[in-house]
Amino acid sequence: MASPPVLDCSEAGPSCAYSDRLTNVPALASGHHEPAARYFVIHVSATGRLPVCHAMRQHADMTDPITIAVLQNRLNAIAEEMGEAMLRTAYSQILNSSRDFSIALIDARCRLVAQADHIPVHVGAMPWAAKALAERFPIPSPNDVYVLNDPYRGGSHLPDLTVFVPVFAGERLMFWSVVRAHHSDIGGATHGAYNPAATEIWHEGLRLPPMRLTENGVLREDLLDMLALNVRHPRDFRGDLAAQIGSARLGEQRLNAVIAAFGTETLAASIEAMLDAAERHARQIVSGWQDGEYTGEAVLDDDGFGKTDIVIRARVTKQGSNVMVDLTDSDPQVTGFINSSHANTQSAVAMAFAFLLDPDIAKNDGAFRPLTVRLKEGTIVWAHEGAPVTMCTSHCSNEIIEAIIVALGQACPDRAMGGWGRRLRIALTGTDPRTRRRFIWHMFQARPGGGGSAAGDGYSTIGEWHSAGGIKFGSIEVAETRFPLVFETHEYRPGSAGEGKYRGGTGADMRLRVEAAGTTYANTAGEGVVHGARGINGGQDGAPHDYTLLPPNAPPRKLKSKEVNVPVPPGSVIHVLSGGGGGWGDPAQREPAARAADSQEGLI
Amino acid sequence: MIATIGIDVGGTFTDIFVSVSDGRSIIAKAATTPDDQSNGVLYGITQAARRLGLTTAALLGATSRIVHGTTVATNALLEGKTARVGMLTTEGHRDVIEMREGLKPDRYNLRMAPPAPLVPRHLRLPVRERMRPDGSVEIALDEASLLSAIDRLRAADVQSVAICFLHAWRNPAHEQHAAAAVERHLPGAYATTSSDVLPQIKEFERFSTTVANAAVGPVIQNYLGRLQTRLRESGYAGELLVILSHGGVASVAEATRLAAGTALSGPAGGVAAAVALSRAGLSSDLIGFDMGGTSTDIAVVRDGQPGLSGDKSVANARIALPSLDIVTLGAGGGSIGHLDRSGLLAVGPQSAGAVPGPAAYGQGGTAATVTDANLVLGYLDPANFLGGQRRLDLDAATGVVAALAGALGVETMLAAAGIHRLVNSRMADGVRVATVRRGVDPRGFTLLAFGGAAGLHVTAVAAELGISRVAVPVAASVLSAWGMLNTDLRVELSRSQGQTGRLDTDALLAAFAAMESEGRARLAWFDGAVTLHRFADMRYGEQVFEIPVALDDIDWRAPDLATILADRFHAAHERLYTYALRDQEVVLVNARLSVIGRLPPTETPAVAARADTAPKARRSIHLGEWIEVPVFDFQLLAANQTVCGPAIIESDTTTVLLRGNDRARFDRRGWLDIAVAAR
Repeated sequence: MASPPVLDCSEAGPSCAYSDRLTNVPALASGHHEPAARYFVIHVSATGRLPVCHAMRQHADMTDPITIAVLQNRLNAIAEEMGEAMLRTAYSQILNSSRDFSIALIDARCRLVAQADHIPVHVGAMPWAAKALAERFPIPSPNDVYVLNDPYRGGSHLPDLTVFVPVFAGERLMFWSVVRAHHSDIGGATHGAYNPAATEIWHEGLRLPPMRLTENGVLREDLLDMLALNVRHPRDFRGDLAAQIGSARLGEQRLNAVIAAFGTETLAASIEAMLDAAERHARQIVSGWQDGEYTGEAVLDDDGFGKTDIVIRARVTKQGSNVMVDLTDSDPQVTGFINSSHANTQSAVAMAFAFLLDPDIAKNDGAFRPLTVRLKEGTIVWAHEGAPVTMCTSHCSNEIIEAIIVALGQACPDRAMGGWGRRLRIALTGTDPRTRRRFIWHMFQARPGGGGSAAGDGYSTIGEWHSAGGIKFGSIEVAETRFPLVFETHEYRPGSAGEGKYRGGTGADMRLRVEAAGTTYANTAGEGVVHGARGINGGQDGAPHDYTLLPPNAPPRKLKSKEVNVPVPPGSVIHVLSGGGGGWGDPAQREPAARAADSQEGLI
Repeated sequence: MIATIGIDVGGTFTDIFVSVSDGRSIIAKAATTPDDQSNGVLYGITQAARRLGLTTAALLGATSRIVHGTTVATNALLEGKTARVGMLTTEGHRDVIEMREGLKPDRYNLRMAPPAPLVPRHLRLPVRERMRPDGSVEIALDEASLLSAIDRLRAADVQSVAICFLHAWRNPAHEQHAAAAVERHLPGAYATTSSDVLPQIKEFERFSTTVANAAVGPVIQNYLGRLQTRLRESGYAGELLVILSHGGVASVAEATRLAAGTALSGPAGGVAAAVALSRAGLSSDLIGFDMGGTSTDIAVVRDGQPGLSGDKSVANARIALPSLDIVTLGAGGGSIGHLDRSGLLAVGPQSAGAVPGPAAYGQGGTAATVTDANLVLGYLDPANFLGGQRRLDLDAATGVVAALAGALGVETMLAAAGIHRLVNSRMADGVRVATVRRGVDPRGFTLLAFGGAAGLHVTAVAAELGISRVAVPVAASVLSAWGMLNTDLRVELSRSQGQTGRLDTDALLAAFAAMESEGRARLAWFDGAVTLHRFADMRYGEQVFEIPVALDDIDWRAPDLATILADRFHAAHERLYTYALRDQEVVLVNARLSVIGRLPPTETPAVAARADTAPKARRSIHLGEWIEVPVFDFQLLAANQTVCGPAIIESDTTTVLLRGNDRARFDRRGWLDIAVAAR
């Protein structure tokens, strides 16, 4: 069967050919159908760039919109199933309770073809990880399992281990089945990887370049022993890694069935068409936004080493259906761990863009084709190799996203949302008087508020930009049972939300009493004590965090956002007031009834 | 003559199934009356009585048992027509139900407003009190704060009160004290405590369930009270039984106490039917596939038992009571085929509903639904839909499918086949969710199709999943009402155990003993045999998800009981996840007891023996190309008659499509047994 003629028109031209299956010709182009030739001729105005043409290498004889839809459903279902397997079998609390892991299906050209909605900040980074892996192992072997975590070789930060299983159709590599998971420890100078005192990546833990976990398909136990020896919880580490491998292998099995059902050629062609469809959807949305060049900023409190008010500067150019995000004017890299790795920044930019698209858009490579990103090495958004970066999936990810939303939101104000709160974690370590055993507790409670939007007020105590309601804080009854802690209060924090036509969500007011034997030690890691979540379109900023240690026989002491080994005497209360979300729109336009309801509900 | 009556109230129809001791069974269908479902129920019973040549009073006077599935609680939650609820809760923790543990659905949607909680914050009132996790009192209940909160609830004119204190699963004293005060000072209000509804650790699940219970409690109380009164007045002297979300039945008093436990009462009948067919010899391993107009319910029956789950939600209300593990997909016969914004074909979740319905109904529907596609493909007979009660408009269906085809740039038949194929694919994914994602391989199961739309899709769904056997009961459209007559009385109880240190077997034995006496007390009115099944939810120390472990046939007096229990868990974990960690600490989180009162089963009416029947017609259908196939009347098939595909088998309410090489045999017990060809 003859293929339809395909013209490469990645540059704007006077006209170009389309497959006859193409519909929804973009509004800025006009076209007519040539039935005999099985293609569309598109006429483009002299100035208008043709938005989708270059992607339209459709194999009309092998694909149809129904096969593509079936395939897309199938791939999404596989990613969901892999996620479920991960959730049920993972060993450490951060994975099975707080769900800090993500799934991606990536094709042989390192393009994201499907994902499951887990942790948004992981997903845009995974194709970069696949690229680094493919560079190191250009010819992967069937049955082998690969891993990496190094932020300077495709990773985002050290605790995130990414496991890859290649999927073949005969000799031909078709997919990577990928599972990324945040491990509870990865060695380094402090427990749990978040080390505010780190000034270089070697302080943060064990670096894994792209490498094989297997030899001829068999797990290398000697290598696993070496890795396990270098982390603080070898049992959790092995259990979680086993769960990741199991989940990736499950994806491999399911993808094998897809390859068998569709056939290699139809599958390859349908994937192209599926990515093109998502691109079409994205460009259709972006075309409706106001063209122009916009700037936005977001500010980090400090790097923990005396540098304060660190600025992310986004310059966003929106032209036709294209968006260019330029972060090169951001501040230089800093001493502490709030620097970002390249892959993490790419992911944060993709996430900000995705937040402004339709929530139901297929999150694959096609949807991100309208986006180009400009970064400069040596800035806080792309640190030189060697700098510490562990905080980056939270900070400066949150600030990157916010700067872009502030900028690009001017082109589409009804799609923009007020800022989501910052992460400021506390880890406690001490002795449980009931068992005389050492305990380590990570705070997931007292989350900050989400931003308001044209859809209404923000969610309260929902978390941050980078997790967007994906991390569960779990049961207080269980926490009190397992740790020597009493949650005297854990409620909404009145007055913390940024005002607006639609206000932000509130943060939390938590009073946590520590009933450990002897002194407990606290580490803090995060941001947002000085700068709150940004209001947008005239909305006001949410209140920043305010954490105080109240020892029983000593004066109160404010906690800073990057502290190590703060002594907490028994009976102390840690009073956490977490930040509120940013408001959307002019507060003067808020409905009086909404204000009255806030007052009745005790939220202001 | 003694009769039993099953009543299934659905969105459109109220189905009545009457089984009479002389071997007759009668089916009646009445329009559902949403304002007061009891009107449709009484009307349906009157119709059934007429068909038996009896007055309503004579039928009800001879009726020994009525089992009822109701959607009253579900609808109240979906439509926001719940009671005005006040909440009394531990000071400092009044936002538990609204925080929802920090989780939000739809991760990439940052432009959505949070759902309104069932109780607004100003009616969630703090009471000064506090328990510790070991059940000791940290702060004694402050009477003044309790009374002032109750005063505020009275001023707010609440109809019901949810009492939810931290650690009440361990020590319910404060909750019970508060409940007594509510009864004293707010007489007439529906009061419910978290320690009574769900005495388990994890406050979000427990509080949310209790609040849902308070929200639907008065609604269920009114409805069931009214229905019971009307049935009494019409001559029924027996107990009205209600099927609950866990698939067992209970008295009106029990269904009212645990009103949130009726949230899945509607679909529970279908699962009860699957269990009954399993007992009747169909297969011990079934997947119920109930495809209706707007949604499809999928449930697994394994070894004759349906799966239970504690993580169900209805309309944002988290209800953690043990419920049948039903996966509901937003796709059915009325689901609309359309172009999504990327230009790909999508089916659902929008549905044409009952009004206007598919274009083929000729009621003004303009969207191409699954039913329209099936009509265009020739699978449905325009003249014989709902037994000829409704004529389907083929031209209208063709018109809407052709319009969609035009937008897709494909031929009409390809678009119709595409809708059919895409919905099959989504159904297969739904079955995968209900099976493979729960560690069950569906390939050894029988796919049991019922509901009006299932028969056209079920063999393709089976083939996609590698399932080789499908069953379609001849009574497919009223199967739920029949299934309800084959259920048992059931009380599900649970108690959380201490979470630290070694397993305390004395405490466990005490918990089982307490649950047993509570369960027997709840069934004290029942004069039949009562059996018990013990379970435990267990996990490894560091895990978060517990797995249910059956603890029947255990020697509870064994000196090494703790070891025996741990071994049971290791074995269960290994079965589910392929490995066990025998050197790890095992935690027993919840002890569970099922208390079951056996009710006599209702016989399945046998198919009369007769000679094989010939096809009633031949019809052209589209299976890749147009081919002519024989059409059989489902109700006239002889026992053991075999039909080979391609063929259509249709009754008034069900149409079954056999593709090439599928082979169906009509079992004398009333179902079509189809061997599905591999594709």
